[in-house]
Amino acid sequence: MKRKHTMLAVASTLALGVAGVCSTAVAADVSIEDIMNDQASGGDIVSYGLGPRGQRYSPLSTLNKENIKNLYPVWSFSFGGEKQRGQESQPLIKDGVMYVTGSYSRMWAIDIATGEELWQYDARLPEGILPCCDVVNRGAAILGDKVFFGTLDAKIVALDAKTGKVIWRKRIGDYEAGYSYTAAPLIVPTEAHGPLILTGNSGGEFGIVGQVDARNPDTGELVWSRPTIEGHMGTLNGEESTMTGKKNETWAGDLWQNGGGATWLGGTYDPDTQLAYFGTGNPAPWNSHLRPGDNKWTSARIAIDPENGEIVWGFQSTPHDGWDYDGVNEFISFDMEKDGETIKAGATADRNGFFYVLDRTNGEFISATPFVRDITWASGVDENGRPLFNPENRPGNPAESADGKKGESIFAVPGFLGAKNWMPMAYSQKTSNFYIPSNEWGMDIWNEPITYKKGAAYLGAGFTIKPLFDDYIGSLKAVDPSTGEIKWEYKNKAPLWGGVLTTAGGLVFTGTPEGYLKAFDDETGEELWKFQTGTGIVSSPITWEQDGEQYVAIVTGWGGAVPLWGGEVAKVVSYLNQGGSVWVFKVPEGLASR
Amino acid sequence: MKSVSRIAVVFCMMLFSTGLLARQLPEDPLDSVMWEAMAERFMPEGDIVFDERVRVMAPLSAENQFHVPITVDATALDDVVEIVAMADLNPIPLVMSLRPSEALAFVGFRLKLQQTSPIHVGVRTRDGVWHVGGAIVDAAGGGCTAPAAAHGNSNWMKTLGETRAFAGRDTDHSARMTLRMRHPMDTGLAAGIPAFYLNELAVRDDEGNILAEIDLYEPVSENPTLTLKPRVGPEATVLTVSSRDTEGNIFNFPLDVPAATGL
Repeated sequence: MKRKHTMLAVASTLALGVAGVCSTAVAADVSIEDIMNDQASGGDIVSYGLGPRGQRYSPLSTLNKENIKNLYPVWSFSFGGEKQRGQESQPLIKDGVMYVTGSYSRMWAIDIATGEELWQYDARLPEGILPCCDVVNRGAAILGDKVFFGTLDAKIVALDAKTGKVIWRKRIGDYEAGYSYTAAPLIVPTEAHGPLILTGNSGGEFGIVGQVDARNPDTGELVWSRPTIEGHMGTLNGEESTMTGKKNETWAGDLWQNGGGATWLGGTYDPDTQLAYFGTGNPAPWNSHLRPGDNKWTSARIAIDPENGEIVWGFQSTPHDGWDYDGVNEFISFDMEKDGETIKAGATADRNGFFYVLDRTNGEFISATPFVRDITWASGVDENGRPLFNPENRPGNPAESADGKKGESIFAVPGFLGAKNWMPMAYSQKTSNFYIPSNEWGMDIWNEPITYKKGAAYLGAGFTIKPLFDDYIGSLKAVDPSTGEIKWEYKNKAPLWGGVLTTAGGLVFTGTPEGYLKAFDDETGEELWKFQTGTGIVSSPITWEQDGEQYVAIVTGWGGAVPLWGGEVAKVVSYLNQGGSVWVFKVPEGLASR
Repeated sequence: MKSVSRIAVVFCMMLFSTGLLARQLPEDPLDSVMWEAMAERFMPEGDIVFDERVRVMAPLSAENQFHVPITVDATALDDVVEIVAMADLNPIPLVMSLRPSEALAFVGFRLKLQQTSPIHVGVRTRDGVWHVGGAIVDAAGGGCTAPAAAHGNSNWMKTLGETRAFAGRDTDHSARMTLRMRHPMDTGLAAGIPAFYLNELAVRDDEGNILAEIDLYEPVSENPTLTLKPRVGPEATVLTVSSRDTEGNIFNFPLDVPAATGL
């Protein structure tokens, strides 16, 4: 007998794709129109942010200021296992099924009527993942018969919504170089390619390069990619397209090659302007003396044309950042009434402490007002939107110190965890206010020399975070975007790390690390209702209508960046216990009208 | 007493689900307490007969409960449509299912055993009848709930899907191919390790026609080893093997089959 021996090294998923199963439209499938109309339809939630603009405003008013006192839990579902840690996810709702993600890249489908599990998917993560700021996930996307989410090893996976089986899985970045992914993907319509699924990337602490990728949701094939850092080339249909910016225009030398600008919080989309808005993270390394210049597009908002991945406009909230003031925070499109005019505006509450309103069609600056107290790094923002830096409040250059090892330490406000971090704010079409989950804290920060090494932290800075006040850190604020006026404030002992939801019923919901889901009066800030969930809340609440009743849900489980990076803040959070559940509430039958 | 009541329950469920026309199950020569449940779950329709033409070759006693070699030879039967293997007392009993559309009714593989267990193999012929054979394998415990050996090495993912394969000849109208692929085949039962296993494999001829398709499940051993006998002509040819795991990783490769001359 003759035998032929062959040794074969086989490529993994990177090189080879599977053709997605072509879906025939059935009633249960989610269409791109459903996603674009998500905000107006109270019966489901098929996007992150309750609509592509991310306003987190529900038109439902069955639940109101009067009957909220009767809101009771229906069921609680445990994520199980030993993998608790931070739960930052916003669930999706479709046809009586909840799709919710959890820590360590897991996902569940749950029957809302019974609270019973339909399926669970656990991503098989490699041992060497490098998430900087806890093993969280912020949510899924849904289109057709598939649900999608990002995993900690920097992949995006498409699952069969009925079974949880993997349909395709694609690589966003090299996890060994520090890439990961935690944000919910964004689905947008295009003329040229049909619906696309957009992702950012994470890893700004490891010297990665921020990028937005657009893929075909059926197959996962890459359609275009857009790096955020000038000098890097984008791609379209498998070929190089255009360079981002102009090489070395705002970056000296070659530091742009590992320049950061991670798009780690994903994006929003406005059907009016047909633009996708992504925020970009801090420049790398943190030590700003190594990279003179504005360092575009780090700590910025960029508007991308989904047809081709070109940047239509950019606005840098913190040029030449030296404090880790990521610019990733969500940019929410809204129509602003000012002086009798309707302005196509967008707003964002930056880590740097200022609340910005921009013209969302062209990125032109409209206003910036502080939303936290005692900001030190800038005295304000000029008429072009550029910060008025306090030069003495930039951490000192280590090269100018006696031994060259540690620059002068300064105390800066806000701290590097930001006046507002990832947790999304809400915009009420009822009150025209933004509801911003913020924190009042500062930091000692100093710079150190650093060189880039693949997969190693790329900071060049030391820091410790400090509360500003003895009695509170967290601060939920109602802000009028046309004036910047703070209408009311709710103070919380521990830092706020969860998203906000507001409704036509006049309610503002958010969770606290102390474990409460709370509801406030949208006009006065009065606390109307609270429920203790048994572990800290660092996620975003949702509400929807099913069988004529209004439901509220929140994911619970303490974690996220605060317990890992919290410095002196540990005093108020170190006793908090981990968890991992989703809670569902409604008003029992007969009590809704009382 | 316990097992009797369990059988009674399963039997009642069977009557209930199939109505009064419930088929007669032959008595199991291996005397497995799980026989009715295995038949109901994995051979749900069609008559069932124990048949000596289904030869299940297995060690009497497993030297290694993580790698128990099993060979199934049903080539004495005509018109085989499907071959299903189950390890009755494993926490996950279903091991693999082969559809040898253009291959001999033959398969070799290795499985993990959680304890001493009967192995049943059902071979379905085109007329819908299940021909069943089996063996009992004595084994030490724990084959399904221990972490894969690969996890002793932190970069095991780097070698995922690496394959050693060869094809030779037994006859001039079939090839004999064996492959061994690096994969942890995690069952999901080891603490903290989610299920992650190779679950689909297909062999195609040089025109892309499917010769054999196999579904693999959690009890298949780490670094799965498979032997199949696809039908091919006497001349040299190239088969294509394509496989996929539960995370959507795809492993495809060509496999040369030598000409039959010189046999």
